[in-house]
Amino acid sequence: MPALDIAQEEAGHLSPEAMAEVAELLNLDSGYVEGVATFYSLFHFQPLGRNHFYVCTNLACMLRGSADIVARLKQQTGLSEARQVTSDGLFSFAEVECLGACEYAPMMRYHESYHYDLTPELIDRLVEQAREAAHD
Amino acid sequence: MTELRGTHGPGPGHILTELFGTEGLERLEVYRAHGGFEGLERALGMEPAAIVDEMKASGLRGRGGANFATGLKWSFMAPPDGGPRYVVCNADESEPGTSKDRYLMENSPHMLLEGVLIACYAIQSHQAWIYIRGEYDRPRRMLEEAVAELTAAGILGERPLGHNYALDIRLYRGHGAYICGEETALLESLEGKRAQPRPKPPFPALKGAWGRPTLVNNVETLSTVPWILRHGAAEYSKFGTEKSKGTRLMSVSGNVLRAGVYEVELGSTFRHILYDLAGGTPAGTQLKCFWPGGSSQPVLRAEHLDLGCDIESVAAAGSAAGSAGCVVMDDRSCAVEVALRLCQFYAVESCGKCTPCRVGGNWAVTTLERILSGAGSQSDLELLDRIQRSIQYGRCLCPLGDSVGAVILTLMNNFRGEFEEHALRNECSPKRAQGVAAGV
Repeated sequence: MPALDIAQEEAGHLSPEAMAEVAELLNLDSGYVEGVATFYSLFHFQPLGRNHFYVCTNLACMLRGSADIVARLKQQTGLSEARQVTSDGLFSFAEVECLGACEYAPMMRYHESYHYDLTPELIDRLVEQAREAAHD
Repeated sequence: MTELRGTHGPGPGHILTELFGTEGLERLEVYRAHGGFEGLERALGMEPAAIVDEMKASGLRGRGGANFATGLKWSFMAPPDGGPRYVVCNADESEPGTSKDRYLMENSPHMLLEGVLIACYAIQSHQAWIYIRGEYDRPRRMLEEAVAELTAAGILGERPLGHNYALDIRLYRGHGAYICGEETALLESLEGKRAQPRPKPPFPALKGAWGRPTLVNNVETLSTVPWILRHGAAEYSKFGTEKSKGTRLMSVSGNVLRAGVYEVELGSTFRHILYDLAGGTPAGTQLKCFWPGGSSQPVLRAEHLDLGCDIESVAAAGSAAGSAGCVVMDDRSCAVEVALRLCQFYAVESCGKCTPCRVGGNWAVTTLERILSGAGSQSDLELLDRIQRSIQYGRCLCPLGDSVGAVILTLMNNFRGEFEEHALRNECSPKRAQGVAAGV
């Protein structure tokens, strides 16, 4: 998995070629490597948006309004479902399972850090900031 | 820095969290200035078997979810044969509603590392692994820095604290799989495979990582070890009840005013935890139910609030203390929608090895979706009952399958009326009540 990690880090996702390369380096069957990679939710096989939101919608976040967060995210980005990428390549999102920060619900993981006490307004701000950063 | 939500600072029964909130506690020098690594120092001067006895005497039980006696687990390790043996720390916290391992690692990474090293010496291992979930970016970075500090200080290496006993800790990053909380699935993953549980026996104590004897313990369990070594088992066992010793971290979340990770003495009542500490449900709402030990355990109701949170009291009420993830639900939420969300979770996270779990979870999701779409019927309710019976009661290798069954059973038993009104009449009384309250 550390090898797959490096491969994903390089390209942003795991292509069949990248997985075959990992298999060859480690002297493993490429089908085996693909089997391992597809088991885990943090490996991606299609490119993600440059700004990818992992929004927790499990129990504790659900009880505190994660549905409103997902709805606002869809509205702001124009995405209609998880794992789609906007045509400018800027945004994508996934509804994910409990991220273990339930005292700060609703929450999400975004750019390798946790964002807490989410409100629809906070989503507006983050989306706007990401758009501005893309223009600069 | 993010505001700490939960126990921090001195207080009655604050064993693990007493120093939390201390400026710079994540740094070795500050941790040591507050007595850190005195437990390891003491341990390295003892016979390994005496440490295992100390753990047994403390009465500490595993805080991952199974609540198994820690000292006993340590004593099950195969005797040293000169080959490698491992301590593996399970930091793959992902039981819904549980955030206490993250809280521990972010506040005091060295406390965990010290516990890991004491465990290593006690079971005569030189190599520890910390398997940390991939989403825990900040705790992972903090642990990486802490390990680097220990290496620089010589506490990791050939001669820790001047003793001739080599110690090493490595971090291993998970990649998103709830099943890795199960210890044999975690070991498969550590070996670079799909995380599918192994049949037990053989238990990891005899054949664990790479076929070698391995001790797998949870973050909170290992974080408690330094305190026990510093203060002694007798001091530790003064806390708690007769059978559930010590304190534990309750992750309280959901519909409460002050969600947080609270350290309490075992035996404290849920009323104290959910109301005195967490502030209870928001004004104008009523407690509908709460999960006392993560989403996999049966729910409890208002009549259980005066129960103690110790392992025996929760079991006597028909639930389980599990991971102590307390999720509170008030009367605005619909039990059927919650059942669907939890079944989706277990269906997605099923590793696919055992047929009842792989197939049953998806059947439950399909059936609940049909009921919630208004196309349900009496036969769907019977089907749900058949699904839960067919998954539970030892039909799967690991408890994940049982959890799907438990979710359906506990919510249907407690809120039968809501399931019936959705399935038979396409109505939802919690929603209707809110509509009235909102003047719609």
